[in-house]
Amino acid sequence: MKPPVLRCRHVTKRYGKFTALQDLSLEVYEGEIFALLGPNGAGKSTLIHCITGLAKQSQGSIEVLGFDTMRDFRTTRRLVGLVPQEINYDPFFTPLESLMIQMGLMGVEPNRERAEDLLKTFALDEKRDAYTRTLSGGMKRRLLVAKSLVHEPRLLFLDEPTAGVDVELRRELWQEVQDLRAAGTTIVLTTHYIEEAERLADRIGILHKGELLLVESRESLLERHAGRSLEDIYLELIRKADGRHAA
Amino acid sequence: MSTVALKTLFIKEVRRFSKVWLQTVLSPLVTTSLYFLVFGVALGSRLREISGVPYIQFVVPGLVMMTMIRDSFLNTSSSLFQSKINGTITDILVAPIGALEMLLAYVGAAMIRAMIVGSLVYLVALTFTWFPLHHIGWTVFFAVFVTATLAMLGMVAALWAEKFDHLAIFPNFVLLPLAFLGGVFYSIDLLPEPWHTVSRLNPLLYMVNGLRYGFLGVADVSPVASAGVVLISFLVLLGVASALLRSGYNLRS
Ligand SMILES: Nc1ncnc2c1ncn2[C@@H]1O[C@H](COP(=O)(O)OP(=O)(O)O)[C@@H](O)[C@H]1O
Ligand SMILES: [Mg+2]
Repeated sequence: MKPPVLRCRHVTKRYGKFTALQDLSLEVYEGEIFALLGPNGAGKSTLIHCITGLAKQSQGSIEVLGFDTMRDFRTTRRLVGLVPQEINYDPFFTPLESLMIQMGLMGVEPNRERAEDLLKTFALDEKRDAYTRTLSGGMKRRLLVAKSLVHEPRLLFLDEPTAGVDVELRRELWQEVQDLRAAGTTIVLTTHYIEEAERLADRIGILHKGELLLVESRESLLERHAGRSLEDIYLELIRKADGRHAA
Repeated sequence: MSTVALKTLFIKEVRRFSKVWLQTVLSPLVTTSLYFLVFGVALGSRLREISGVPYIQFVVPGLVMMTMIRDSFLNTSSSLFQSKINGTITDILVAPIGALEMLLAYVGAAMIRAMIVGSLVYLVALTFTWFPLHHIGWTVFFAVFVTATLAMLGMVAALWAEKFDHLAIFPNFVLLPLAFLGGVFYSIDLLPEPWHTVSRLNPLLYMVNGLRYGFLGVADVSPVASAGVVLISFLVLLGVASALLRSGYNLRS
C-alpha cells in the first residue's frame, strides 16, 4: 500500500509554556485537496510550519511520502511547496531572478524557460524585470505562488492565500489550485472563507486551540448535516468546543 | 549536500552586495582611504619610522585588516538579519539546505567582499608608497581566516539580534574600538604598562599584527602566535555558528 502523502503522528508543538498543537494526528492522501479550517490562532500556520521546516514540533513525527521531515529533511523539502501566509519579497531581485534563485535553492538546476513559463502562468511576464517592490499586492501574492512551484512539489501548502485578495484574483487562484490537483499535486490549504472550502475541498479538517475537532470528507459531512451549510456546521462545532473549554 | 543549492545561495549573496556596491565596496574603500591619507600620508610625512618601517607603510596592513574585519562582519550580519526581518529567510528554511551549506555560502560571499575591499585599499596605498608583500603565504592565511571568522561572528550576531540596534553594537562598540586598540595606527611597544599587557588580551591585535607581518615582515607579535590566536578564534566561531545553525536558533521557531 502506498503511504499517505502526509502523515502527522501525535504532533505537539509548544512555544514556551503555550501549547499551539496538542497531540495532533492527521493523514492526507495523494491527489486530494484538504482544507484546514479554524479560527485565528487555532494553530493552522503552526502545523504547516512544522511540516515545511519553518518550525520544529516539540513531540511526535511528521512524514511526507514516508520520509521523516526531521531525519530526511532534504528529501521532504524537495517534495513540499509552501505559499506562506505573510507576503515576503527580496527587494534586491526581480521576479524572474527570484524564481531562478528559488529553483536553485530548492536544489533544481535553474532553468530560465521554466521560470518564464511560471511568470506567464501567473500573469507576471510583463513585470519579470521590475523591482519586486513595485508589484501590486496581488502580483506579489502570485509571485509567492509561482515561487512555491519552481521545484514541482508533490504536496503544496497554501496558507490563507486568499486573505485580503480581490474576487478576481481569488477566482484565478482557485482555478490554478484545481489545475494543479488535476496535474497530480496534493494540496493542503487554510482559508477563512468557508464557502471556498465547501466548493473546493475533498476533505475538511477543523482545528481549534491546537486540536483537530473533526476530519471528514466534505460529502459525508454535508450528508450528515443534510440541508445545512458548512459554515453552520463549522460554527456549531467551534461553539461547542468553546463551551467545553470554558466549562 | 546539494551543490546546486549551495552554489545558488553563494551567488545570491555575492549578487546582493554587488548590486549595492556603492554602499558595500566603494564606501568602505573611501573611508579607509581617507584614514590612509590623513594618518599615513599627512601624518606619516612628519613621523619617522615605526618598528623599522616608514609610518606610511606601517598603517597600510592595519587599515586593510580593519576594513576586512568590518566588511566581512557586515556582509553576513546585515544579509541574514534583513532576511529574518523581511521574511525572505523562509525561502531558505523551506529548501533542502543544511547548516553547512548556509555557513559556506554566507561566509564565502562575505570573504569575497572583504577581500575585494582589502585589495583595493592596498592598491590605493601602493599609488602613494610602493612596497611588495613581504610574505604572500602569511598574508593569504590571515586574510582568509580572519575574514571567515568575522563572517561567522556576523552570522551569530544576526541570529541573536532581534532589532537593528542589537546588530549595530558589534561594528561600532566592539570591532572598531578593538581594531584601533589592536595597533592599526601604532605599535603596542610604544605603550606604557599596564596598557602594553592589556593590549595582548585583544584578539584583534593578533589579526592586525598577523597581516602586518605578511605585508611588511614586522609585527608586535610573532606570526606563529598571531596564527594561533586567529585559528582558535576561527574554531570557536565555527563551533558556535554551526551549532546555532544546526539547532535552528531564532530561525526555526
Ligand atoms: N513563534 C511563535 N512564538 C510564540 N507563539 C506563537 C508563535 N507562532 C504562533 N504562536 C501562537 O500559536 C498560536 C497559533 O498560531 P497560528 O498557528 O499562527 O494560528 P493560525 O494560523 O491558525 O491563525 C497562536 O496563539 C499564536 O500566538
Ligand atoms: Mg495562520
